[in-house]
Amino acid sequence: MLNNIFNPKTIALIGASEEPKTVGSGIALNLLKSKKKIFFVNIKQKKIFKKKVYKSILEIKEKIDLAIIAVPGGVVSNIALECVQKKVKGVIVISAGFSENGNMEREKELKDILDKANIPLVGPNCLGIVNTKNNLNASFAPFIPKKGNIALLSQSGAIIDSIIDISRTENYGFSKIVSFGNEAGLDLSDYLNYLVSDKETSVIAIYIEGIKNGRKFLETASKVSKVKPIIVLKSGKTKLGKSAALTHTGSLAGDSKIYSSVFKQTGVIEVNSIEELLLTAKALSFNKRFKNGVGIVTNGGGFGVLAVDYLDAEKIKVPQLKKETLKFLDVPVLKNIKGRNNPFDVLGDALADRYEVVIEAMLKQEDIHCLLVIQGLQVMTEPEKTAKIIIKLQKRYEKPIIVSFIGGESFKKAISIIEKNKITNITEIEKAVKVIKYLTYEK
Amino acid sequence: MNLLNFKDSKNLFKKYNIEVKDTEIFNDKESVLKFAKKIGFPVILKVFSDKIVHKTEKGAVVTNINDIKELENVFDELDKKFKDKEGMMIQKQFDGREVVVGMTHDNTFGPIVMFGLGGIFVEILKDVSFRVCPINKNEALKMIQEIKSFDVLTNFRGKKKVNLSKLADLLINLSKLAVNEKEIVSIDFNPVFINEKEINVADFRIIIKKNA
Repeated sequence: MLNNIFNPKTIALIGASEEPKTVGSGIALNLLKSKKKIFFVNIKQKKIFKKKVYKSILEIKEKIDLAIIAVPGGVVSNIALECVQKKVKGVIVISAGFSENGNMEREKELKDILDKANIPLVGPNCLGIVNTKNNLNASFAPFIPKKGNIALLSQSGAIIDSIIDISRTENYGFSKIVSFGNEAGLDLSDYLNYLVSDKETSVIAIYIEGIKNGRKFLETASKVSKVKPIIVLKSGKTKLGKSAALTHTGSLAGDSKIYSSVFKQTGVIEVNSIEELLLTAKALSFNKRFKNGVGIVTNGGGFGVLAVDYLDAEKIKVPQLKKETLKFLDVPVLKNIKGRNNPFDVLGDALADRYEVVIEAMLKQEDIHCLLVIQGLQVMTEPEKTAKIIIKLQKRYEKPIIVSFIGGESFKKAISIIEKNKITNITEIEKAVKVIKYLTYEK
Repeated sequence: MNLLNFKDSKNLFKKYNIEVKDTEIFNDKESVLKFAKKIGFPVILKVFSDKIVHKTEKGAVVTNINDIKELENVFDELDKKFKDKEGMMIQKQFDGREVVVGMTHDNTFGPIVMFGLGGIFVEILKDVSFRVCPINKNEALKMIQEIKSFDVLTNFRGKKKVNLSKLADLLINLSKLAVNEKEIVSIDFNPVFINEKEINVADFRIIIKKNA
């Protein structure tokens, strides 16, 4: 059903415009960049961006797969009726002025019109959708993001715009983006159900303020999270009814607590900020999740202590090095290092060769399921060489490695090398540990 | 407030295998004394009334009553002080660590169950966990272990680890009740006493819909 929304052959934009800095022209320009057959509808204009303009969708001779409606809220229902008559296969309503403004009846009218004809509806009150696979930007987001395997679903259009911009200088990308707005027709669970079998998507990132169909989400998210990781950033609070507050249970059951419980129960990863949402999505777009147990390699004792402090607070295990591991570490390149622990401090004067031995030894140890490789900058440090070693060993052992290259300009190249090879760099140790926590299965 | 009366509450518990042992409600002193002899001292005497929200704060609960004479005095005192009541609830003084178990309805997700430790843990620290119903044993055990103060229920200060399985069963039974009984708005079991062997619901509060 959603295929016609993400992969339409023909698209009509109702409310197209060429007036700069309007929604109608934003979407029109984005659509023209795709290689689809585009039709513009506007009752007043004759030409938009040199293309013919139709007075109504019904004037178009070809079949229309997807209709995008960006006209004032009050006339959307009339346009929707024309879309039904035209037998379009999917509708996106960008227009605002529905339930978000208290216009419940208007929203219900729109929903009923399209439901009756069995036409899927995205929105209303949304930014639109993006499919990077076919270069389709059916939204007024200013850019189409890089291709990648992260699907982004958001109740807020503004957050989508910002995330797209942030990601332009990052090494991850997106498969699909949906701004789902008021969810009058399709709801969050419908998108999850579509993405679970979408070949381009391997991780799903969500921003929500609230969930519309709670029981449906419970069922869908439990199912989908077993196949693909779901990360969610939830904001907003609402109150329970008064009568329930007569018990402790009722008064303690705050909205955010219940949502957090639901996420735990359904295997959804809940994060606390946009930054965490993106870092976790990046890590999951590169790695699978792992069991509890982290090995730490560092060239600075302080970094190691910080990492252990953070890991301890998150109840992440830092296993002792085993006999076989210690034996493996018994090599000339490490002969001047007395401490043989996890975290393993290769010392400030370490070249890449020390990292190589220790990383390999830790990757071999069974109860270490993920590595945190930390490198600060000394005169002799070899960031790029270390980067290449990390890539080589990660490929050989297939265990997730999170890297913290701690510095600035000096590490830019090394970071680019590892991330292009799908290994996550998170410069701030605290954030790296947060991401490790989110990727770790039950503690 | 719509508080479900004692009799209906007990029937409801029976239906969902929620055992409330050695607890009865009477209006006359003779029956109270007789029941106390049967279950043995120490006992607790409480006023059961939908007019009293916090029994302890209003002085409507007296714990650790050790003999017949003391019980008689307490009965007279409470009976005089609280006129508007369903009856006087007499109960064995249970032994164990105090926990709180409850259910309510969430507007988005429907029936939910709650778990926490009694006293300041729930009231001040709000250290509680929730699950949407229904739950299975695995999920029940997880929600018990999720609270920050979980260690209190393990080998703590010379006490033995409590019977977590029985605690999980109580949560599961309450979750079944929450799913089936649409007229019930919210339930508190507070406190529930649990030790290494047994679990006892010492006090309960069941709020029903206005016109139910």
